[in-house]
Amino acid sequence: MGLMAAVAAPALADGHSSLTIGMIQYPGTLNPNIDPLAAKYYVLGFTTRPFTVYDADFKLQCLLCTELPSFDNGRAVPVDLPDGKRGVDLTYTIRPDAMWADGVPVTTADVQFTWEVGRDPKSPVSNAEMYRHMTGITIKDDKTFTIHDDKLDFTYAAINDFELLPAHLEREAFADPTQYRQRTHYVTDPTNPGLYDGPYRVSEVSPGSYMVLERNPHWAGRRGAFDRITLKAIENTAALEANLLSGTIDMVAGEVGPPLDEALAFDKRHGADYRVIYKPGLGFEHVDINLDVPALRDRRVREAMLRALDRESLSKSLFAGRQAVANTFLTPLDVGYSDDVPHYSYDPARAADLLDEAGWRNSPDGIRRNDAGERLSFTLMTTAGNHSRELVEQVLQSEWKKIGIDIKLKNEPARVLFGETLLHRQFQLAMYAWISSPENVPRSIFDSTEIPSAANGYSGENLPGYNNPKMDELLKALEIELDPEKRKAMWAEAQRIYATDLPFLPLFFRADAFILPKWIGGLRPTGNQYPTSLWVTDWTVKP
Amino acid sequence: MTRFIALRLVEIAAVLALMSFVIYGLIGLMPGDPIDLMRGVDPHVSSADVVRLKALYGVGQPLFERYLAWARQALAGNLGYSRLFAEPVLTALLPRLLNSLALMGSSFVLAFGIALGLGIAAARRPGSVFDRAVNLFCFAGVSVPTFWLALVLILVFAAGLGWFPASGIATPGNGGLDDRLQHLALPVLTLTLTTVGSYTRYIRASMREALAQDHIRTARAKGASERRVVWHHALRSALVPVATVLALSFGGLVSGALVTETMFAYPGMGKLIFDAVMGNDYNLALAALLLATATTLAGNFAADLAYAWLDPRVSYQ
Amino acid sequence: MKSAAILLAIIAAAALAGPLIGVAFGIDPSAVDLTDRLADPSFSHLLGTDELGRDVMLRLMEGGRISLAIGIAAALAAAALGTTVGLVAGYLGAWTDRILMRLTDAVIALPLLPLLIVLAALDLGKLGLPARITQSDDISLFRIIVLAALIGWTTAARLVRGATLVTKHRDFVRAARSLGAGTPHILARHILPNVMAPLIVATSLSVGDVILLESVLSFLGLGVQPPLASWGSMLNNAQNLIESSPRLALYPGAMIFLTVIACNLLGDGLQRRLNRQR
Repeated sequence: MGLMAAVAAPALADGHSSLTIGMIQYPGTLNPNIDPLAAKYYVLGFTTRPFTVYDADFKLQCLLCTELPSFDNGRAVPVDLPDGKRGVDLTYTIRPDAMWADGVPVTTADVQFTWEVGRDPKSPVSNAEMYRHMTGITIKDDKTFTIHDDKLDFTYAAINDFELLPAHLEREAFADPTQYRQRTHYVTDPTNPGLYDGPYRVSEVSPGSYMVLERNPHWAGRRGAFDRITLKAIENTAALEANLLSGTIDMVAGEVGPPLDEALAFDKRHGADYRVIYKPGLGFEHVDINLDVPALRDRRVREAMLRALDRESLSKSLFAGRQAVANTFLTPLDVGYSDDVPHYSYDPARAADLLDEAGWRNSPDGIRRNDAGERLSFTLMTTAGNHSRELVEQVLQSEWKKIGIDIKLKNEPARVLFGETLLHRQFQLAMYAWISSPENVPRSIFDSTEIPSAANGYSGENLPGYNNPKMDELLKALEIELDPEKRKAMWAEAQRIYATDLPFLPLFFRADAFILPKWIGGLRPTGNQYPTSLWVTDWTVKP
Repeated sequence: MTRFIALRLVEIAAVLALMSFVIYGLIGLMPGDPIDLMRGVDPHVSSADVVRLKALYGVGQPLFERYLAWARQALAGNLGYSRLFAEPVLTALLPRLLNSLALMGSSFVLAFGIALGLGIAAARRPGSVFDRAVNLFCFAGVSVPTFWLALVLILVFAAGLGWFPASGIATPGNGGLDDRLQHLALPVLTLTLTTVGSYTRYIRASMREALAQDHIRTARAKGASERRVVWHHALRSALVPVATVLALSFGGLVSGALVTETMFAYPGMGKLIFDAVMGNDYNLALAALLLATATTLAGNFAADLAYAWLDPRVSYQ
Repeated sequence: MKSAAILLAIIAAAALAGPLIGVAFGIDPSAVDLTDRLADPSFSHLLGTDELGRDVMLRLMEGGRISLAIGIAAALAAAALGTTVGLVAGYLGAWTDRILMRLTDAVIALPLLPLLIVLAALDLGKLGLPARITQSDDISLFRIIVLAALIGWTTAARLVRGATLVTKHRDFVRAARSLGAGTPHILARHILPNVMAPLIVATSLSVGDVILLESVLSFLGLGVQPPLASWGSMLNNAQNLIESSPRLALYPGAMIFLTVIACNLLGDGLQRRLNRQR
């Protein structure tokens, strides 16, 4: 084992004109609108430009447009719709210098085509929610267009999911929408430069293995530091780290990289030779509670369970303190975040008192019972094969046992857990993460009409079965409140209600680890779902 | 003989048809479907989208109807489109098949070569220290967990000594033979170490049997050189059962080596089948599993024929 | 062979004694102690602690119990299934024999690992099994045992059939039949004892195979699930830390290796002894 200590220095030979990045997943289709996959969005970050995204400061930013619509600049105009609701007309202008990498300018023809693809009920677009609200589109000229949106909420200017497709190539592939999945050039001819309008374009593809990116010769923005970027997929994280050490790859993409505990172990051993950036993100790890379980309907039991957890030491020992303990469902990075909420610090004595109060008393076998003789015992589920969660889960089990709660563990593969068990609310306690987006109003999680049931075809994400009319009203009003100051107060109120009711137990905000060579600078993890690759032209090579 | 061949071919076709249905059914019994999987990845896929996409891909239809639709297309030569790899099934399959052939083939040749040497040498000195050492080596090889061995080899030879690349099939932009061989080194070594044991034991056993036969004794008595006895007389009769093992190993060439491929990020058939099955990619999983089954059956068939051809006592009517 | 048997006996005894030792030392193998993670070997933890501060030695013993239980149970189940098929085929002969042996050949011919993956990922609920079984804590354990038995029975079936074919024409079998003994009686009393020896050899070899198979399934995330742990799952969990704490991977890997090689050497030794007796 002594051999492992000998580490080959990262490849330095070529003066860093090329960069090789390792990721744990290979994207399937590169079509921006089909099949959501983290690895795909990472690659597309280098090669395409969305209209709008949230940057590392959680500010909405124009990438492909010239300026964001607002009521002040007249690009956003509220409209009263026939059905009494309020909609909005939004006008955007495409940057004049935007070009596809084959030299064809990006125009409103592409916008019109993308909108048609998104609206077509037969098209395979996986993420059509936004298009459903875009009831019409008016083309002003080659570069300017107006979207007619039937819903006016405070995030009206964000059209992040509007991922432009090149009409000059794709229109013919879309002739039969049901075949578009197979016929799209992103699949049949992924190295066609006309598919990419970002600083780089895909120049070589070895499916399942790697992709090579080269400069977009028609890119008019700031020039990236690298002539070539190679993206290598290595699924086994131990093998990925070995590749890093052997210099086969220069860095690991945090967005599609190894889980935090492994990155920490790597850092501990080889941190001196690399720059490791930890970025807490939007992944909110929590324990969902099924409020239909009688024992769990009692708020005191829920608070006792939270108070019995020493989340600070858990985070410190398992994640070197990199996963911030959560007190509310919003990350401190979000504009709406408020710290003015009840905090439940580690207090096993108080937890025991709460359980006593709730009628669960100690019994000789160490597990509490109520007067009816029922044992205080629950099943905790999580995603099988997720090493970090399996560790945390066993800690929770051990901590809860100390205050007399018996926990059975039952893990299921993600596809079963999310696809069936949680959807049908067949759980008692379930630990997993929500990934939201900046300023996302969590109505689907808290609203009482969003409780999945046979009646609504198991739609909605209110898995605990939380029902508080005050919360329903507040979030509905928050969504359409256009005044940022008023909004802030409403956000704070929503978090207060949540932390008081505790329909689910907050654990941590997940952090991503970016393992970089020392010679790369300017890379700023965003902490939201927009990958660092969108800002590749800011990356610098240090001498 | 012709009748025998014809019968076996019919049988192979029947088994394949049956297998296709069984595999289709088994994948259908796996939890969730492609759209549920998609939903697990992206919370923005709304319930309305799920309903729309399920209808679009026809995942709501009964299993048997979907199977018939697939079978009709497959018989017409259209194996469909791989959802996971975003390519037609054959386009996804072929390069990985070639990769697997390169990996499994070279490890097979290497393992068999080593096994021939070790097996014969051990058979000539039964009970000696050498024989026992070979025996222990064989058992060690088949007893070591493959992924553990692979990890140790990566840490020592790739991360530690830097002699070989740790993963992949080639350096991007460099498709040279030299480069590809370097990438093959560690996966081939892993596979060889874990398979050489059973081959060696097989060869040793059949060689010992052959050396004990009457005609070998006769040859020795007639004064033939030891080398001629071993390499000419004994090996020839020892090779009859060995040829059978050879043909039986044929199926493995196509179904690949899942664990080794995963550890070395080597895109071969084993990993492809695993991903296709886990990702609910019916078309790809079916095509790959059927190809693997067909090759195995063909291998068995070849083994029977080889047996008949090499051993005059066997005849098929 | 003797040393292999002794080694196996020690491993099995240690696995069985795990709980006793835990009580004796006052250590609970599942108790998490975050203040004492990845500790080096010491007097209180002879082999150190794992990433959750649990005693590695006790965990190895627990894991050994699961691994050995899976190995032995699956090997026995496979032997039982194979023996039944072999006895029936060999004794009844004719078309029963032909069909059963064709089936055996077919199972041998299938690409097994990929099929195992499919089977290991099946949704048992969709098969119509009652929830009491599919929701049980040990379902991952039973699943592996059943799977290993389903693919492992062919060796025993062929062996037993061969031996049955030879035995059934022996004089004592004919005598028993002429005395009016029924088929089940003849199979159990006269034929089975005669096929026992090669069967034991085959079974001891397959215990090792099953333990290896379990480690592969664990590697693929289809093995036993927490809170259960086997050597395979411990090894798989430890691979993430193989660089920083190679001990954690070294131990379960070594245990698998030692156990499997001991099973193989034992089986090999028994085989030789059997051949010499003939």
